[in-house]
Amino acid sequence: MTSRTPFDLAAEVGARLQAADDRGLNASLHWSEDLLKAEAERLVARVDPGVLAGMPVAVKDNFVTRDAPTTCGSRILKGYVSPFEATSVSRLREAGAMIVAKTNLDEFAMGSSTEHSAYGRVQHPLDPERVPGGSSGGSAALVAAGVVPAALGSETGGSVRQPASFCGIVGVKPSYGRVSRYGLVAFGSSLDCVSVFGQTVDEAARVLSVISGHDANDATSVEEPPMDVPLRPSSLEGVTVGLPREYLPPDLDPGVRAGIDKAVEALRRLGATVVEVSLPHTKYAVPTYYIIAPAEASANLARYDGVRFGPKLSDEASDLRGLYRTTRGTGFGPEVRRRILIGTYVLSAGYYEAYYGKAQRIRAHIARDFTTVFEGGVDVLFTPTTPTTAFRAGEKTEDPVAMYLADIFTCPANLAGLPGVSLPIGRSDGLPIGGQLLAPYFQEVPMLGVAGALEAVIDPVAEVR
Amino acid sequence: MKIGPEEVRRIAELAEIAVSEDELPALVQQLDRIVGYVAQLDSVTADNQVVAFVPGPQHSALREDVVRPTPLEPPPAAMAPAWREGYFTVPRLSAMEDA
Repeated sequence: MTSRTPFDLAAEVGARLQAADDRGLNASLHWSEDLLKAEAERLVARVDPGVLAGMPVAVKDNFVTRDAPTTCGSRILKGYVSPFEATSVSRLREAGAMIVAKTNLDEFAMGSSTEHSAYGRVQHPLDPERVPGGSSGGSAALVAAGVVPAALGSETGGSVRQPASFCGIVGVKPSYGRVSRYGLVAFGSSLDCVSVFGQTVDEAARVLSVISGHDANDATSVEEPPMDVPLRPSSLEGVTVGLPREYLPPDLDPGVRAGIDKAVEALRRLGATVVEVSLPHTKYAVPTYYIIAPAEASANLARYDGVRFGPKLSDEASDLRGLYRTTRGTGFGPEVRRRILIGTYVLSAGYYEAYYGKAQRIRAHIARDFTTVFEGGVDVLFTPTTPTTAFRAGEKTEDPVAMYLADIFTCPANLAGLPGVSLPIGRSDGLPIGGQLLAPYFQEVPMLGVAGALEAVIDPVAEVR
Repeated sequence: MKIGPEEVRRIAELAEIAVSEDELPALVQQLDRIVGYVAQLDSVTADNQVVAFVPGPQHSALREDVVRPTPLEPPPAAMAPAWREGYFTVPRLSAMEDA
């Protein structure tokens, strides 16, 4: 408990948000003194401060809220205010959190660098020339810059773990179905997961616990109670950690490799048994993902047509199809248009089975790889979160496939619906390296226990070479 | 499968997205690169008997079948860009009928 009042907390976080804006992070899309004051008043009126007791939390701008616009980083939703609120945001408020900002993102969460926002790119907090990762780059940057201790993001292919790795913070993607997707603007419905950033494993776990649990408004949320907050074990005796060889290729960035080697030493010192394992379909995860996700996106984003959602961006269209095409052609940015076109192509007559049908079957093989390893006695897998540290802005924007490969170690867990966490394990040339733990379905608690134990013995800002 | 300008025009029409002739060459090149990349799955032997994987619960949790008030407090008219006599107004449908 803090002795500061909610108004003190609101004023402090307002000053930090302003400082972040002043330094040009461009991480927030919507925040205001009035909204902070309203949140403070709401908390003051409570009898019970709640388990989060005034914790300031930022929310990616693809969660709908009623007190601020929800743009999804897109021109097509500029100024849109939802008539209802996402379940995860409502649960945060009920637990005493203060919702302080809506954060910048790659348009409709499509991207790995937060350069594809209609409202400008987000800067990396440690190096303004670099990207913070994406698509939840605004949330990651605010946590990494110390503006908030925790933030909500969303994952479809790694959009929380990848920016957490780039920014040197913790990012947790829960099992598919652990957290309600109600009010998270849909991108790839069989992949989308509400996910959490924290400055520490404990902060991320506390937020995840609050937002987890069944929600009648989401038929894909599993009928389970909220997740327990894990205790941090002092020893990993009896825990078997698998190192998948496909995640440690010979051409892995040497700094990332050195960070992984140091972290594996730390796991062994904690008492864990470390074994090499194989996930043979890993190399097909990115092409599989880039068929399934765009296919689902092309269907989900059909509603943004200037009639059902989105402003009418043409006064010249003489008929309805002309209105649709002009609105969507000018309202969506280049990456969203590319993905809708790819999704439309792979679902179109004559191509559906060759692309989408095949990808769905390979997805089953990818999921079975994980099941086989976990059934063979491995408790958690440990891998690099990303093949490199944060790259420079503009480095990959001209080659979409190069950008997609930034998700190579994260998207397999999304395809398989499994939980994962990225935590900082050191630095290479001053830039953070992320280590990733993956666990069986609904085994977040032991996974976060291992993450907490590793976090306690590793220096996240030490150079690894 | 090679993606050319005609294919991109066809997909854009299906997707209801206007693409100008100026932006077509770059789009053709990018979509061809992406489709060429994902086509590597052609070489994978995927068992046709494998059931498509769907994560999450094995069954959907159904709500009680009772009428509840809608959580949408603002009426549709408040959210509509154009509204007349209880209906959304949109441009003429003529092109849809011709298609």
